[in-house]
Amino acid sequence: MSMTTPSTVRALPHAEWGRVRQSRRTADRMMRLTAAGFTFIAIFVLFWILGMLIVKGIGGLSVATFTQITPGPGSEGGGLANAIVGSIVLTFLGIVVATPVGVLAGTYLAEYGKTSKLANLIRFINDILLSAPSILIGLFVYVILVEPFRGYSGWAGGVALGIIAIPVIVRTTEDMLRLVPGPLREAGAALGAPPSVVITSITWRAAKSGMVTGILLALARIAGETAPLIFTALNNNFWFSPTLAGGVSNLPVTIYQFASAPYENWQQLAWAGSLIITMSILLLSLIARRIVRGSK
Amino acid sequence: MLSTLELSPQTLDADAPVRIAVKNLDFYYGEHKALKSINLDFRDRHVTALIGPSGCGKSTLLRIFNRIYSLYPEQRATGEVMLDGRNVISNEVDVNELRSRIGMVFQKPTPFPMSIYDNVAFGIRLYEKPPKSELDDRVEGALRRSALWDEVKDKLKSSGMGLSGGQQQRLCIARTIAQKPEVILFDEPTSALDPISTGKVEDLLEQLKSDFTIVIVTHNMQQAARISQYTAFMYLGEVIEFAPTNTIFMNPHKKQTQDYVTGRFG
Repeated sequence: MSMTTPSTVRALPHAEWGRVRQSRRTADRMMRLTAAGFTFIAIFVLFWILGMLIVKGIGGLSVATFTQITPGPGSEGGGLANAIVGSIVLTFLGIVVATPVGVLAGTYLAEYGKTSKLANLIRFINDILLSAPSILIGLFVYVILVEPFRGYSGWAGGVALGIIAIPVIVRTTEDMLRLVPGPLREAGAALGAPPSVVITSITWRAAKSGMVTGILLALARIAGETAPLIFTALNNNFWFSPTLAGGVSNLPVTIYQFASAPYENWQQLAWAGSLIITMSILLLSLIARRIVRGSK
Repeated sequence: MLSTLELSPQTLDADAPVRIAVKNLDFYYGEHKALKSINLDFRDRHVTALIGPSGCGKSTLLRIFNRIYSLYPEQRATGEVMLDGRNVISNEVDVNELRSRIGMVFQKPTPFPMSIYDNVAFGIRLYEKPPKSELDDRVEGALRRSALWDEVKDKLKSSGMGLSGGQQQRLCIARTIAQKPEVILFDEPTSALDPISTGKVEDLLEQLKSDFTIVIVTHNMQQAARISQYTAFMYLGEVIEFAPTNTIFMNPHKKQTQDYVTGRFG
């Protein structure tokens, strides 16, 4: 509580100038230059990819790209309409599968499980799933949904994409809920609200923008997934059946098939498709950032 | 320091019934015993202040009355906290019903991420389904009582998060009194506020004590002296002295109490 007042201003011992040596300053500058240089390399590769995509893809973009379906082998022209619509349907299905599972599992971890052994085990498994090879998930869904029903389907594709999206949503949901200050939960409880009401009408609300962002990022993640679709939704060069049975055309697998084909119009469409996917993901990420910023 | 304390002559009704009776209360954070056989009576429609240095257990004690501690599995209390004939820390009392009868206002304002109106209506809607007009009246009444109505009446639909800190705290008080509790617990309600907002909240407490039994934890001894009728001085998990506020500040019986209220330690 007592205040100390300096009596006189004295020169401190060893107060001479020039203690930082030139070599130290040079080392400091070198470190900064090296870090900047490697940052440049990382950014440069990214822009190289983007640049190549735009240069090679833009030529393939036309009205026909969005109105005509994928061409058969040897036929001229064609577009990506069926693949674009198919990709939207599959991605949407995947998110519809993954959102309730991911959000509720994330909620369990953040609000109920917390630091219990079970919760830690689930977190560990979720992290493994987060980095599981996506082709493995494609094979898994092939065994449980394609083989038993004797056929590829959009449903199997949607489920495969959903399984990829679940761990992403679990993680972001839990992270966002843990950012909600504890006193807010206590304030809800102090009014006599049971945990379920506190979670649904206070905690979720407080974390809403972050949770929506997580779902959008999961959407961006699965929009470009190829491997899980090869064994599930497959691909074809026609409009798919409204029942989603028998394979659904989609951009990633179309790009994979067209890029390695000997036909020039196919290769051109593969570039155009890549550009469309990349731009869509970029747009989704921008929207997600906007939401996060809007909530601050 | 004693001379600078403004002791307002607080009317004190020695015959007022006891609203909360604490008997032989112990409290544990895991293995650590944080409160040691606490015995205290809180009188109906009086303000009781809990004072003491940081870590003395005053907030811990407050958080037992509405069992908010039970959100944390490693915390437990044993003994008796009697409210209207029931031991609230036993399982015979439903914890959510208890909390609807004992309101709590926290150190930092905790507006919910919803409109001002919905913030105040939140507690009412939990246990009652009043018609719209009655709900409107109760929300308005609570906001008037917390001296916030004039500042927010034209923006009831906007978010409670957009208010200033002092307004947010009064919103939290409105939210609490809208539920018509019998007891209100204040956990250092002004320590995050500027002096003007603090003054407004203190005026509010003065108003509220005619209708509610109030228990307030405060670090600010002037505040305890200004607004409370009873004061308990706590130290290291024990109640050292419990008496009418004037006695605690002007004529304490224990040396430790005197040392604390005169600023010699703490």
